[in-house]
Amino acid sequence: MAIRVNLRLIDELVRYGAEDVQYCYHCGDCSTVCPHADAVFRFPRKSMRQLQMGLEQRIETTLEPWLCYYCGQCSEQCPREADPGETMMGLRRWLIARYDITGIARQFFKSKTVEIISVIVVGIITGALLLYYGFSQGNLSIYDGEGAFLPSSFIHTFDLIIGIIMVFFLIVNALNMGYLTMRKGCDYPVPWWIYIKKLLVLPWHFFTQKRYAECENKRETKIFMPWFIHMGLAFGYMIMLILVMVFIEKLQYGPEIDWSVHIFGYLASVGLIIGCIYFIRSRFRKHHIQYKKTHSTDWVFVVLLLIITVTGIAQHILHRTGIIEWANIIYVVHLICVAPWFLRMPFSKWSHLVYRPLAMYFAAVRREALERQEEGLPSISYSYK
Amino acid sequence: MRTGIFFCQVESDGKMNIDAIAKYAANLPGVESVQDYGVKPDLTAKHLSLLIIKDKLERVVVAGDMPGFYKPVFTKAMYLSGANPNEVRLASFQEHGAIGDIALERAKATVACANLGVPFSLAAVPAEGPVYPGTLVIGAGIAGIQASLEIANAGKKVYLLERTGTIGGHMAMFDKTFPTLDCAACILTPKMVSVGQHDMIELMTCSELIEVTGDPGAYKVKIYQTPRYIDVEACVSCGLCVDVCPVKVHSEFDVNLSKRKSVYIPFPQAVPNSYLIDGNSCRFIQSEGEKCGVCVTKCPKDCIDLKEQGKIAEIEIGNIIIATGYETLDISNIEQYGYGKYPNVLTALEFERLTNASGSTGGNIVTKTPRFDRKTQQEEWVFEPDGIPPKSVAIIHCVGSRSQKYNSYCSRVCCMYSLKFAHLIKEKIPNVDCFEFYIDMRAFGKGYEEFADRIRQEGTFVVRGHSASVEKRNGQLIVTGEDIINDRLVDFNVDMVVLATGLVPSQGTKNISNMLGIRQDVDGWFSELDYNGNPTDTERGGIFVAGMCQGPKDIPDTVAQASAVAAGVLKSLSSGKGVGHLTSVSLSKIEARAKKYQTV
Repeated sequence: MAIRVNLRLIDELVRYGAEDVQYCYHCGDCSTVCPHADAVFRFPRKSMRQLQMGLEQRIETTLEPWLCYYCGQCSEQCPREADPGETMMGLRRWLIARYDITGIARQFFKSKTVEIISVIVVGIITGALLLYYGFSQGNLSIYDGEGAFLPSSFIHTFDLIIGIIMVFFLIVNALNMGYLTMRKGCDYPVPWWIYIKKLLVLPWHFFTQKRYAECENKRETKIFMPWFIHMGLAFGYMIMLILVMVFIEKLQYGPEIDWSVHIFGYLASVGLIIGCIYFIRSRFRKHHIQYKKTHSTDWVFVVLLLIITVTGIAQHILHRTGIIEWANIIYVVHLICVAPWFLRMPFSKWSHLVYRPLAMYFAAVRREALERQEEGLPSISYSYK
Repeated sequence: MRTGIFFCQVESDGKMNIDAIAKYAANLPGVESVQDYGVKPDLTAKHLSLLIIKDKLERVVVAGDMPGFYKPVFTKAMYLSGANPNEVRLASFQEHGAIGDIALERAKATVACANLGVPFSLAAVPAEGPVYPGTLVIGAGIAGIQASLEIANAGKKVYLLERTGTIGGHMAMFDKTFPTLDCAACILTPKMVSVGQHDMIELMTCSELIEVTGDPGAYKVKIYQTPRYIDVEACVSCGLCVDVCPVKVHSEFDVNLSKRKSVYIPFPQAVPNSYLIDGNSCRFIQSEGEKCGVCVTKCPKDCIDLKEQGKIAEIEIGNIIIATGYETLDISNIEQYGYGKYPNVLTALEFERLTNASGSTGGNIVTKTPRFDRKTQQEEWVFEPDGIPPKSVAIIHCVGSRSQKYNSYCSRVCCMYSLKFAHLIKEKIPNVDCFEFYIDMRAFGKGYEEFADRIRQEGTFVVRGHSASVEKRNGQLIVTGEDIINDRLVDFNVDMVVLATGLVPSQGTKNISNMLGIRQDVDGWFSELDYNGNPTDTERGGIFVAGMCQGPKDIPDTVAQASAVAAGVLKSLSSGKGVGHLTSVSLSKIEARAKKYQTV
């Protein structure tokens, strides 16, 4: 089959954050230092090559960008300052846009204005709806239960609707990813039982993000700090999601504190706030190579998350201290940020929470299939003896 | 001719007064329009072609620091507007030395020349004056030796200046030359001997240039001669002094691989063939005459004078040839290869000395063996003649070259000498595995590509892919890399790693550049007058560059350039006229000459 070449691919990637691909002269230093590159998945040089050659259809079927966690060793090593790490990051954004069948992600990554306007529009619509609902049937001085401004039963429905929309797009996009990488991308047979055999990889990587911890194998400290913070953020996020989606009635009930639920809420808040502050601070300090360049979508994500966390904590405190009116107002602000943040998720970098574990899973499947395929093939000998 | 002048800068530090040049340019003959587009303009051929049509321009002058950057768009614009696309003339400020005090004058002159369609070098011809017969050659490597011999054989006086105790330079350290695999010493030593014996060459070893005054053609130079402490004429190189000398230091000639005494001869074939004493380590000199001094009593010829003082020589010369050569890059800060950490990771120059028959192992390629040094109470790794030969060797190209972090330029000789190493290893050790890690194989010269092919056929594994790390696991050196052609990651167990280190200008380059007023380019090499047309001349009249100090080059190119320099010197000597500084040519003179040669 002939391969179509997109000569504009490098230029296109600039909008996604990969600016220096054309400088690469293929010395292979990046692949050598990468702690994740191995016999089957060799990157980042190979991805750089595919980009330079404009093999668009080849790249959209690769899993390599997802196997990179951007420790930045390759970019530090690169003699051409072609920034392979940032290229892999840009490729991930590009792939998110590729997997997304609606084309919204593409617009978000390409234009700062489109993204910010859509976030504001969704926020305004949500705010208007909430205020209309609140003033039409409730009282600003009641927080929960009968006649409340925003009763928890209503919030529960609100959350579920947003959640369902989000999950729908995520699943569709993930299926698209599966089709691209496993059907279109494999020119060798993949038996069905390998999919089942390797199924455990999926939750394993989802909960531990083990590969991230393996990044930068020559570091001085034992724990890779970005991984640790990322874990905090991810767990905080997951716990909060479950609390909000399932236990919102218990969570909002008050003013007394229900420890069986709230203890998780506090833990999650700590994780979220530390994570947010760490990543925002790093992006300002630029002390490490992976924080040197920040795409506009990254800022929208992390700033919105910080606002959501802070307003969430604030309304909790205000509610418990009896300043109900202000608690309700802050609650509205909180939800105004939550709606666009969640709805934006399948179309932004945040969707990596689905793609990454899936990519690990697919990579394990591919590796197994390839090893089965290559058994008995002669290998290149580098020695006479 | 109706001319339009366009100012476009690529980089600008704001020092160049473009307005003044534009005002000057507007009054030049035939100039219809002057446009200043500022720094890094975004030009389109369509927009420019409209301007050209509007003013009915027949010639376009693009002026700026690097106007070649914009030439294509102007050519296209000329084509679109129906004018002659060949009439795009460049006025390059950077290329023609518009820098420093004369920047404005020079920039105006380049614009004036371009306006008249006259090449700048044709219009800017410096004045000539009388010339002294002597020639000073700075640096006695192969370039300096060759240039001196050429001039001296023509019957002219040459003063050959050398910082170390012997002439020969880096080439004397080498074993073989690529691609012919000739013995380097066999080519160099006869030349060295003729230099030593030549009537017209005055050899000044252990000497450094300290001051240059005077005008082109009539320079007065001051040279500081460090004492050798041994009379060159009287010394018969018996070597009795070495036997009694108690001080041992690292040998510079052997790149610290072996030790020498404080009184030493750099290598047996050194010219002048006499011993010298290293004042920095000699016990007598360091203690100001209180200790030691045994060599004086031992010398049968009484030629050692440890109280000798350095002296300053003043000579008058007509031309100066700079041939200061290069140094290898200090790679101790490139950590990934473990140089300095693992004993068997060598630089190219170290390997060159190891494989040289006059080296510490007698030319045997061996790995280092640990030896306990009683004096320092430390274990050190040294090459012993009966050491274990390596079973596999990795050679890594481009260490510090072609890298934005170290040298952005290609050092030009590394590919070929690395291939030569592979051949020597294969030749000397049976059943050895040899791996070459390269990025691009730059076999650019006559017979080089064939040489590279030959090395491949000899069974060296030439891996297209640069290794980024050398590690030691369980006492075994492991080189990892990506074999791009075979599409796999590789890691090889090796016993020795040779790093093809990049080249940098030698340490005195900056000093000489200040003293003689010759510019250095961005990489630190001396700037020639014109890379294509005048690769040996400089902006200063009567000062020439030869060999590596102008930019990395191999031995054939160095020798060729040295001979070319000799031709330039002899031209001035036989005509009896010294060429003046190009920087001294005034704007009005350039204008007048440009008018004379102008094309219609």
